[in-house]
Amino acid sequence: MAPTGYYVALSGLLFAIGMIGVLTRRTAIMIFLSVELMLNAANLALVAFARSWGDLTGQTAVFIVMTLAAAEVAIGLAIIVAIFRKRETTNVDALATLKG
Amino acid sequence: MIAFMLLGALALVGAIMTVTAKNAVHASLGLVGTLLCVAGLFASLSASFLAAIQVIVYAGAIMVLFLFVIMLLNANQPISGRDPVPFVRELAGIGGVVLAGALAVLAFTYRDPQPLAQGVAALRGTGTAAELAARTPGNAAAVGEVLLTRFLLPFEAVSILLLVAIVGAVALVQRPRPQPDGVPDTERVSLPAPGEPLIEARETVALSSERRRL
Repeated sequence: MAPTGYYVALSGLLFAIGMIGVLTRRTAIMIFLSVELMLNAANLALVAFARSWGDLTGQTAVFIVMTLAAAEVAIGLAIIVAIFRKRETTNVDALATLKG
Repeated sequence: MIAFMLLGALALVGAIMTVTAKNAVHASLGLVGTLLCVAGLFASLSASFLAAIQVIVYAGAIMVLFLFVIMLLNANQPISGRDPVPFVRELAGIGGVVLAGALAVLAFTYRDPQPLAQGVAALRGTGTAAELAARTPGNAAAVGEVLLTRFLLPFEAVSILLLVAIVGAVALVQRPRPQPDGVPDTERVSLPAPGEPLIEARETVALSSERRRL
């Protein structure tokens, strides 16, 4: 059984990779994928801490985060589809105005 | 330990593929690999319920939705041209390394709360911290009991959130309903206000159609 610190370090690496993705990718869908990666990294840390403390609160939080991620993906992808219908692009650089 | 190393390395490979792949389908397949590896790590942390949920909900349902939208929008071509933000790759790389370093320092200075866990174990009866960890399994029964007793309010709030998300997603992707005269809303040209010259309206139409072509 690997120590908790190893899991948290892996989670930090995954989170940093996801952050680089959010900053460098230019289509809305790819930014979304990177955000999912960051959410998963946070989940991994939560589960590792839950085991470390012998308490199920962390696992419950992960369950709720997963539900939130599902809701977020449904709404986010619906917004991306709506934007694509109007502007024919999902490049976030082209979506610099609030005006529809 | 071997399982952790293997799954962790594969998860990192998948994550790097997610962030660097030019093709959106390849990137999402990389993310599926990472999600499956994280599910394996959950299982190695004796969170079997979350491992199953991770495979079913994340790697199954959410990623199918992603692939569906990528193919629907035909968005698997990379964007050409320069990024309008100067040095964004370099700055993001530096920021990522700094963040990873800071989190790694935190991670490796973290100490398991052994004395506390042992104290709790002593209060609850006899046993060491390892036995306490073994007595808090992450199977569906244990997680469900915590979820429906201590976290009942968040659980119910999440169900309302899911309902709102369903309604919102349906409302967002609805096509604009045609008006009674049969002209859809998107093709309706707004007439100039009385007193304004008509030529301006024509220019606006040309502009908006050009923007659509972009």
